[in-house]
Amino acid sequence: MPESAWGWLIVAYLFLAGAGSGAFLAAVACDLLAPDWSRTLARAGSLAAGPLVTIGTVCLVLDLEAGLWQPWRQIYLVSNLSSMITWGVIILSAFIPVAFLYAAALNEITFVGRFAKKYLLHLEIVGSVLAASTAAYTGVLIAVVNGVPFWNTPLMPVLFMASAISTGLAVAMIGAAILDINTIKTLSNFALGHLIFLSVEAVVLMMFIFMSLTRSVEAAASADMLISGVLSPYFWVIVVVLGIVLPFLLSIVEYYKYGELHKYLVIGADLCVLLGGMSLRAVIIFSATPPQVI
Amino acid sequence: MPRYGIAIDTTKCIGCHSCRVACQNQQGLEYNQSFNWIKEKERGKFPSFAKEFVPLQCNQCENAPCQRVCPTGAIYTSPEGVVLVHKERCVGCKYCIEACPYKVRTVDHHEGIVVKCWFCIDLVRAGGEPACVTTCPTQVRIFGDLDDPGSRISRFIATHRAEPLRPDLGTRPRIFYKRS
Ligand code: SF4
Ligand code: SF4
Repeated sequence: MPESAWGWLIVAYLFLAGAGSGAFLAAVACDLLAPDWSRTLARAGSLAAGPLVTIGTVCLVLDLEAGLWQPWRQIYLVSNLSSMITWGVIILSAFIPVAFLYAAALNEITFVGRFAKKYLLHLEIVGSVLAASTAAYTGVLIAVVNGVPFWNTPLMPVLFMASAISTGLAVAMIGAAILDINTIKTLSNFALGHLIFLSVEAVVLMMFIFMSLTRSVEAAASADMLISGVLSPYFWVIVVVLGIVLPFLLSIVEYYKYGELHKYLVIGADLCVLLGGMSLRAVIIFSATPPQVI
Repeated sequence: MPRYGIAIDTTKCIGCHSCRVACQNQQGLEYNQSFNWIKEKERGKFPSFAKEFVPLQCNQCENAPCQRVCPTGAIYTSPEGVVLVHKERCVGCKYCIEACPYKVRTVDHHEGIVVKCWFCIDLVRAGGEPACVTTCPTQVRIFGDLDDPGSRISRFIATHRAEPLRPDLGTRPRIFYKRS
């Protein structure tokens, strides 16, 4: 694998921050649009969002060196407003407490939750803005990097946003199945959501790869690594087939055979979406090719 | 205040790596750590074939991408135009490594921070020149004030139309190369 200063911890961070904010958005959408029959899904999404984003942030911190050994240095992380990491720290510090508060409110956990429930709609609005910012920010973080031409495109945040929404929906669906396996039938209602978001993700991914082929030699070198180079088995098998095509086909079946699809296939499709989302971040980070400077 | 830069004449470089070793010695680096690389570029076709050695180190960009992305503000430019790292602030997030197009920054795993060439600013402020400049047996590098049109470096850049690496990236490096 080609060398990159960032490794699996950053991959995990990008994935978890995306999936967590996507789960939050899924929860809010369910609660606002169909509070009667999608309640379990909303509950699951809200419960997963905070912990996922928190674990992701822990991964980011674990990737630090001096900032990990001497944690007080982390106070400096908000020093430079032209750095996307500074913005990320600000956005995450706002989103994480809101996500936990929302979970408490929606599930009426403790007196805090019961109190916060009065402000549920406020939490949903503020939280959705912060969730969308978190998901988009993970893409902007690497899109502004001039040291890696492959990442340096405005499509990057769009791609990460699309992936965040489909993985977030998958998280909420798996969570709903865990909370109450009987909801598996109503999950078929969300198959349509998967179809839409997976299609968006597939189209953006295709545009991203094709445009990279002509953008610059370095971006093309990275894209070649995914299409036919060292990373191609992971890209085609895990990201494309397992992560997009298979769940897409299963979602079609699920949609038409309303509530009839075997429960393990429903959950399997969602697990595939998660595997694909994580692997998408991995192949993008690991295919970084620096500019040819000499 | 001078604005320091280096001019590099790759046609004189024999790839001996003296500059790299001198740098490691001056900066107290480990054998596998370096602020200085000798890249090799092959051109042409047999029998008219040439190999060029291109010494590479931090370009002290005037518009430094590393400085722009550093969240802690650990990277700053000194009055002499040298890009420096504030060792007490760096958290080791490695964002600057990703942002640097020249890939000349390295992690110092002892201190947990990211370091790079700093033009031996301590030697320079004491009236000397960077170790890579003085060590080179074929005098590939010229160190000096880019703002003084009469300095050796400015005259060299003007005479040979020396150019930075990848000026199109907009980083405005302070290292200039004469490559043919
Ligand atoms: S060459 Fe790299 S490390 Fe040096 S100033 Fe430019 S961006 Fe920063
Ligand atoms: S590793 Fe240090 S110098 Fe580099 S961006 Fe992070 S805090 Fe700044």
